[in-house]
Amino acid sequence: MNEIINAFFEAIHLLVTLDPEVIEITLRTLYISITSTVIAAVIAVPVGGYIHFRKFRGKRTIINIIQTLYSMPTVLVGLLVFLLISSQGPLGSLELLFTPGGMIIGQTILVLPIITGFTILALSGVKDEIRDLSLSLGASEFQAIQTIMSEAKYALLGAIILGFGRAISEVGVAMMIGGNIRGYTRVITTTMSLETSKGNVELSIALGIILLMIALIINLVLNYVQEK
Amino acid sequence: MNLLEIQNLSKKYDGKNVLQDINLYLKKGTTLGLIGPTGCGKTTLLRIIDLIEKPSSGKITFNSREIPKNKKDQLDIRRKMGMVYQKPIVFKGTVYDNICYGLKIRGKNEDSYQDKIKDLLESLGLGGYEKRDASTLSGGETQRMALARALVTDPDLLLLDEPTANLDPQSTEKIENFMKKLRDERKTTVILATHNLIQGQHLSDEIAILNKKIFQIGKPEEVFRKPKSRFVAEFVGVRNVKKGISRRVEDSLTLIDTGTINVYSSSMMEGDVYMSIRPEDITISRSKVQTSALNEFNGEIKEIKDSGGILDLRIDVGEVFSVYITRKSFTDMQLTIGSRVWLEFKASAVNVFKV
Repeated sequence: MNEIINAFFEAIHLLVTLDPEVIEITLRTLYISITSTVIAAVIAVPVGGYIHFRKFRGKRTIINIIQTLYSMPTVLVGLLVFLLISSQGPLGSLELLFTPGGMIIGQTILVLPIITGFTILALSGVKDEIRDLSLSLGASEFQAIQTIMSEAKYALLGAIILGFGRAISEVGVAMMIGGNIRGYTRVITTTMSLETSKGNVELSIALGIILLMIALIINLVLNYVQEK
Repeated sequence: MNLLEIQNLSKKYDGKNVLQDINLYLKKGTTLGLIGPTGCGKTTLLRIIDLIEKPSSGKITFNSREIPKNKKDQLDIRRKMGMVYQKPIVFKGTVYDNICYGLKIRGKNEDSYQDKIKDLLESLGLGGYEKRDASTLSGGETQRMALARALVTDPDLLLLDEPTANLDPQSTEKIENFMKKLRDERKTTVILATHNLIQGQHLSDEIAILNKKIFQIGKPEEVFRKPKSRFVAEFVGVRNVKKGISRRVEDSLTLIDTGTINVYSSSMMEGDVYMSIRPEDITISRSKVQTSALNEFNGEIKEIKDSGGILDLRIDVGEVFSVYITRKSFTDMQLTIGSRVWLEFKASAVNVFKV
């Protein structure tokens, strides 16, 4: 028991003294997860919009598939991207395996369904009458879509924040694609996994607290946004 | 000059006719009341006029220009119209944001419209509401704001889809007063869809009775006094609708045989017909009197409906007629159920229409 308490105080010490390794890992984690979330959002919001605004056969099935992919195992995405970018894979020549770039690709694929699905949900939350109202007040079809997007902007932001939450907390892709290389691809979750198995729990606890704080901030922002 | 012309317009949904063979001509500066029961196609017609929906067939001409196929050209025409819906809908943001929506999407500079926005809001009883969150307005306030939002761009044609259907009487009155101003002072061209006959009658220069097709169109008093079909007669609340066979008896007189009584009419329509006589056009007396009225029948009071100052009597003369009488006459004549009375009405009070 004493050891755990000591480890906890050690972790606090690491945080308070802004331990260079803790800071470096945290910044890299934020960089990779924010980049993949931004890329995913740039793809998923228009795709979600397209699915919502267009009428086509199989729309319901596509939405069902997207929703199923919310809970796609991270190791499965890791495996898929690994096969894609390994030296024998179709994108092997890009040499992305065990690089932050490869991790960004993996996390982007992981969060794409979440942001797409919640974009569709966000847009469905806007009353149908808003489109008619926009058109009748002189909006073009494109302006009407912009208006609907604007009416749903807080819900859309919520979808993106959810995606970020999934990206930053996952370990499968980061481990399989990044390889947990110290000073290069090591992120909070992979460090915690490795250091805990080595018995180095104070660093794990310090990083765990940071991850928890990020989760708390995400939650607070999400709550604030949803109240709008 | 006609602002809007609709010829042979029809609309089908899943093979079902929603609108059938609509022909309408709307003069600039006039208000047309589009009156019909719920589900008669009023909203669909307005949406087609506003180019939000496409008709299945037919031709629409706006400002002497046929509606083009090209979406961009359609947008130019749509931007010359404004619409207010039955359901109060707002965009997120303030009243000012809502009103400026039409200006923004047209790329107009809001600053040059400040006086206009202020005037509009004041004339709608919403002075000083600019900074209010639009979603906190009451239903009546939202509809008045919706009028300002549609009018700020000075549309050539204003489409109103049951704008007061969900409102309390006070809010309704405010909107109706504003609409009178629109008609009398601003000379705005308006199509007002409503199921409210009295509102349609008061606010319109012409009314069209719609139920999938247009049954009758004309000045309100003409439609109310002389319905041309049984549907219109019943819809506008015309009483004493009877069926009969009409034959000419003199140069300007026909006699309609209902099977139980014969009624003179100045209409020249012959064959199977319906006729209607407005209850206020029928007089009653205790004994037979010498009058110019050709139709005189003796009958018995079967029912008395008391609705305030005016009483509605049901008198059986072979056919049952509804007759309105003031409370004073009723008391003076000492009438009661079972009293025998004479009914008199002129041949010209008999409105005849084809079966």
